Amino acid sequence: MVRYSLLLLLCALFAAPLRAQSTPPRGHVSDAAPVLVAFTNATVHVDARTVLTQATLLVRDGEVVAVGTKVKVPAGAQVRDLKGLHIWPALIEPYSDLGLPADKQDQRKAEVKGARHWNGALRADAHAHTLFQPDAKQSAELRAQGFAMVITHRMDGISRGTSAAVVLSDAPAARAVVRPDVAAHFSFRKGSSLDDYPSSQMGAIALWRQAVMDARWYAAQPQHQETDAVLAALATQLQGRIVVEAGDRNEVLRWVRLLDEFKLPGIVKGTGDEYARLESIRSAGLPLLVPVSFPEAYDVEDPYDAQEVSYARLKHWEMAPRNAQILDTARLVFAFTTHGRKDLKDLWKDMRSMVALGLDSSRAIEAFTTDPARLFGLDDRYGALREGMAANFLITSGHLLAERNIIHEIWVDGKRFVLDDPERIDIKGSYELNLAASIWNLEVTGEGAKLEATVRRASEPDSLKVKARIDRQGSVVSLSFAPKDDPKAITRLSGIIHAGGGLWDGQGQRAGGEWFAWSALRRAGKNGARKATADSTRTVVTEAGPVPQPLVGFGWTELPKQGTVIFRYATVWTNTAQGILRNTDVCIHEGRIKAIGQGLDVHALFPGKKKPEVTEVNATGMHLTCGIIDEHSHIAISRGVNEGAMSVSSQVRIGDVVNPDDINIYRDLAGGVTTVQLLHGSANPIGGQSALIKLRWGQTADSMLIRGAAGHIKFALGENVKQSNWGPGTRFPRSRMGVEQQFYEAFIRAREYEAAKQHWTELRPRDRAGKVPPRIDLQLEALAEILRGERNITCHSYVQSEIDMLMHVADSMGFKVNTFTHILEGYKMARKMQQHGVNASTFSDWWAYKFEVYDAIPYNAALLHMHGVNTGINSDDAEMSRRLNQEAAKAVKYGGVAPEEAWKMVTLNPARMLKLDHRLGTIEPGKDADLVLWSADPLSIAARVERTYVDGVCYFDRATDAARRAWVIAERDRIVRAMMAAKADGAPTRRPRSERQHLWHCEDIGEEGEQHEEHDAH
Amino acid sequence: MRTERTNFQFGQYRSLAGAVRVLFAALCTTVAVALVAQQPVPAPPQKKSVLITGGTVHVGDGRVIDEGAVGFRDGRIDYVGYAYGVKATYDTIIQVVGQHVYPGIIAADATIGLEEIEAVRASVDVEDIGRLEPEMRTLIAYKADSRVVPTVRSNGVLVAQIAPRGLVISGSSSIVQLDAWDWEHAAVRADDAVHLNWPAAYQRSGWWAEPGETDTEKKDERANKLEELRSFFRKAKAYAQEKAPENVDLRLEAMRGVFNGRKALFVHANAAKEISEAVQFAKAEGVKRLVIVGGYDAWRVADLLRENKVDVVLRRLHSLPMRPEDDIDLPYRLPALLKERGVRFCLGYAGDMEAMGLRNLPFLAGTAAAYGLSAEDALRSITLDAAAVLGVDDRLGSLAVGKEATLIVSAGNVMDMQGNRIVHGYIQGRRIVLDDHHQQMYRLYRQRLEQGQ
Repeated sequence: MVRYSLLLLLCALFAAPLRAQSTPPRGHVSDAAPVLVAFTNATVHVDARTVLTQATLLVRDGEVVAVGTKVKVPAGAQVRDLKGLHIWPALIEPYSDLGLPADKQDQRKAEVKGARHWNGALRADAHAHTLFQPDAKQSAELRAQGFAMVITHRMDGISRGTSAAVVLSDAPAARAVVRPDVAAHFSFRKGSSLDDYPSSQMGAIALWRQAVMDARWYAAQPQHQETDAVLAALATQLQGRIVVEAGDRNEVLRWVRLLDEFKLPGIVKGTGDEYARLESIRSAGLPLLVPVSFPEAYDVEDPYDAQEVSYARLKHWEMAPRNAQILDTARLVFAFTTHGRKDLKDLWKDMRSMVALGLDSSRAIEAFTTDPARLFGLDDRYGALREGMAANFLITSGHLLAERNIIHEIWVDGKRFVLDDPERIDIKGSYELNLAASIWNLEVTGEGAKLEATVRRASEPDSLKVKARIDRQGSVVSLSFAPKDDPKAITRLSGIIHAGGGLWDGQGQRAGGEWFAWSALRRAGKNGARKATADSTRTVVTEAGPVPQPLVGFGWTELPKQGTVIFRYATVWTNTAQGILRNTDVCIHEGRIKAIGQGLDVHALFPGKKKPEVTEVNATGMHLTCGIIDEHSHIAISRGVNEGAMSVSSQVRIGDVVNPDDINIYRDLAGGVTTVQLLHGSANPIGGQSALIKLRWGQTADSMLIRGAAGHIKFALGENVKQSNWGPGTRFPRSRMGVEQQFYEAFIRAREYEAAKQHWTELRPRDRAGKVPPRIDLQLEALAEILRGERNITCHSYVQSEIDMLMHVADSMGFKVNTFTHILEGYKMARKMQQHGVNASTFSDWWAYKFEVYDAIPYNAALLHMHGVNTGINSDDAEMSRRLNQEAAKAVKYGGVAPEEAWKMVTLNPARMLKLDHRLGTIEPGKDADLVLWSADPLSIAARVERTYVDGVCYFDRATDAARRAWVIAERDRIVRAMMAAKADGAPTRRPRSERQHLWHCEDIGEEGEQHEEHDAH
Repeated sequence: MRTERTNFQFGQYRSLAGAVRVLFAALCTTVAVALVAQQPVPAPPQKKSVLITGGTVHVGDGRVIDEGAVGFRDGRIDYVGYAYGVKATYDTIIQVVGQHVYPGIIAADATIGLEEIEAVRASVDVEDIGRLEPEMRTLIAYKADSRVVPTVRSNGVLVAQIAPRGLVISGSSSIVQLDAWDWEHAAVRADDAVHLNWPAAYQRSGWWAEPGETDTEKKDERANKLEELRSFFRKAKAYAQEKAPENVDLRLEAMRGVFNGRKALFVHANAAKEISEAVQFAKAEGVKRLVIVGGYDAWRVADLLRENKVDVVLRRLHSLPMRPEDDIDLPYRLPALLKERGVRFCLGYAGDMEAMGLRNLPFLAGTAAAYGLSAEDALRSITLDAAAVLGVDDRLGSLAVGKEATLIVSAGNVMDMQGNRIVHGYIQGRRIVLDDHHQQMYRLYRQRLEQGQ
């Protein structure tokens, strides 16, 4: 009776989750009995921070029934004594594409399109759980490192659909997928899409932005004119968990900005260089997925070869293993991923190296267990070993991070996978081998299945040792060998290993066929039994040196600060009615020009008690000017300067892809440049929106953008737009005739769009009922801004016919062209330009690089200037940008422009074009303290920049620069030595490769400007 | 006599510039009526002797003569010295008080006259098909009446080595003067050098922000390229020993001069390893005269270059540093670095838009002067040393008695944008017309301005 009630009690205890509900019909006799296993005497890590010693883990059918030190093992349970062993929650890989199709274009062609979005890079309708196919090989590789679960999604496209949580049990998909639609995934890569658009990162961003708006608009509609499975899916996904993929630290920040724009939460998958933009990433506070993937060292023994490896790469090699620790110290939430690794082989070695460099060991394990579980909402069942949770766990010899730890078993969804059987007796060691007639010494070495053995007669010296073949199957062992002096006399032994491994015995056969009994007895003191090592990871913190901002050779180890400065006795080019003043002082304070005059008095400038700390700069013999403004630049732009796949791409924004790490920013500062307009390229008639930045070297992309600046946009005419010098030229337009019609078309559509929007705003609320407001079209929005006079056109232009044409289009559509850039034939029609009120931004002396510039002349700037056109000289070239003072001087040479006026062509006049002349372009009180101190007349060839200030911050100083050169040399040397030491320690290395930066030009197509070889047209 | 001169003072210069402009405008108006949009007529041989006097004479070898004079007759210089020291009589005396007299500027490794419009393939003849093609001769493709040439001349460049591009051995260059009816007339020295692009020592990987991570070992490929060169040079050397080979081989014929000293070998290389390799190679293969073109790292292997008497044509100074953390002004300082280390060099302008941009060559020298070189050494790098690198310093490159009267007079410092105004130019004593397409268009469209349209 007692027994019966106990049984009943047990039934009640275990009845509820007795059998998983499953739809497939059963055949044969089904395995009805639940598998109940008790793992006893183990060190159970419930999670990375909760350890139970001498504990029991009770598991039934893949679920934790109980865990603790006082768990009673019920009858009917299989008992496994895990004395000396550890149990850990199995790992979760949060960023995988396991079991999902790759982004192959050929497969794409075969796919049925259906009622879906027009752009193939948007694949929100893809759900991993509907596409998943188990992949036994990859699953086994992951299990070998301790992973029982992955979150997998198809890594293809900008909108990639949803991921699924999958257990690595090799079960059919329906069983393996434990959670569908875990998160929605996004990236900046278009993947296998067959559409040309987008062909740049800014295009990808623009497409994403429009898609998010469209999805919300679509969802708001009661009825659809078009059915779109992608937008429908996307609308749902935007309400849930979002994971975005970044290609580097700056892309992390791009995503931060974009998600914020739509008030969306998100998890950002980074690349492991987040330490280099720590402050801004920290303040964004988004959780991260951080790869455990470190670059190999370079082979830098040859000093010339070593030179080819940039400091950024050297430093990243040093910092990558420290990234997690830095993020952790900054209290950032993150989980690890193995995504991006070549293979999983050295995963635990890399984990240990992170811990050795200071990462908390529990944190390291959490980042692969509880953190991914929590981030993906799986922590109710996964990531730890608590009652009621999935029993996905590892049995290990010791601490997961211990150097000699062995993962013996991994249990996934109730299935046991043996990686290294803990019950197998270790037979490594030294034995006395008794072959009846003789006594031999036997040495067994090696790991697991790879055993090695040597034998020699006990009476003989070590030199007569021979190799023996050894083979072991469980407790059965066989050995064969021949003595060194008689290779033909092979002795073969077969026997069994007795419990404990200390005694083997069996029968053998000598050469000639004689059978005999043999035995082997382990020698005392050589117990090869494995010790279950505890957490043996040591914390060795080596000094890595500071991380410069940005992470390149001339980054700052300490950002320069705004100061109060008085320049004394300078020759000041005011660009105002005051002209050029000699022996004059200028004071800057709080980022602005405070005063200009002779003998400025600190007490008069700052009356009262609180006086700022004033730095006095003796500028005797030097010239002080305002900073150069480059109206046409393509530096500091990431992944594509053209969205040339469309002839109208007004929706794309250079501001989305500013690259604050470009060394050319610093080089420009050293040439006296303080402000640049980053322009879209000239591959299409209507390009993208410009970014106006100040060269605040060391700051993030966002902080470089000029707040409150007017909107600008790039247009283009002529050969590039016609695609005359590259490619098949199959995109419309292909002639100047087409260009005109494209403009009319675009602006007429924009006008209609404006009218529709206007109509909506004028509707009475009751007329709006049941209606959806007009769709926001970011392409037309930008054009409408032009029509409203809120966005300024900078138009790439060369020959007079097309210049005339655009002015006619503008006049008839009711807008103004702000600036013609290049405008090399402007001199032929300067008066018309003056009448239209357009600015001209030209090259000083370029010509003859293509047909449309065969009539370009260096007198262009002078002639335009003579006609009263506001004229500037720009670079369109990273190199020339840092010598724009020389280029301005050419206006003196060609056409005799007065030096002061020539100087304005690179300062005040471009400030006017950019609508920034209220802040920039002159030296007068109240204006921004963007100043350059020159060693000589800035228009002379002898002039060198001594200092450059932006907002009163000294971003370039010749003296500091010299110190930083020395610093870079010392830093490089330090890291190179560390690499050599790593190589000596056996670390793998790779050959150095030279890094030559790609410099964007107007007509570069694609993300890396490699589609055509000509790279010098403008 | 002084060896160094500083730039003009600001104020002083302005009045000078004004004076020059008046002169210049006068000259323009006389020419304008007759010459709208026409090529300047090549000048006839010098008939009358000329004395240019009263200006600052920059000899080209480092010396400067204040209030100096240069006299020449029959195309050759017969007087260089102080103005007061002139004894002989001259048919024409040109006063250039306040102005500067220089040797004509010489451009090494240029493509002027070989390409008219860079993007129009039909107008470009700088590169042919193949790998080892020393037989390709630039001279015969030189367009003497190119629209580009006069614009370069107007800034003081009067002589150029016109060089081929591309391939491994891209062809043979020639030296031309820039005022000629045809290439034959232009030739100063035909087929002066063979140009070889040294196989690059380092492979490139993506670009710095987007590094390509697949690292394919290219060592073997490079070894093959070097072996290809070695065997070609050995074959060529053996061939050169035969005076009249039975089977004429055009390629090997074109190499003959490299082994007997009639042709120099110009190796285009920038990295220290490439340069060192090239020097060893040339020595081992019996090349008589080696010049390194590019030479970004030449200063690092200066001892090797100096000991082997290898000259350098420096790559365009107005360029970005080759490596991300090279000193930001390293390209500008290369001349000073080579000077300090005793390597002879001149300045090149190869690269993007090199033909039309060649008119900026004087300003490269100006930049060199701003970054550590003395003004006269900077001048030397585009005059006497350029002539020496090209092996024509016996005829050209400095103002010296007996040399060709190829010279210019500039209103100010020829190496400064504000000073560079060429008011007189002579090639072999012939007074050249300093007009060009650009000045013509300038005059033409000023008329539109005057018409108020």
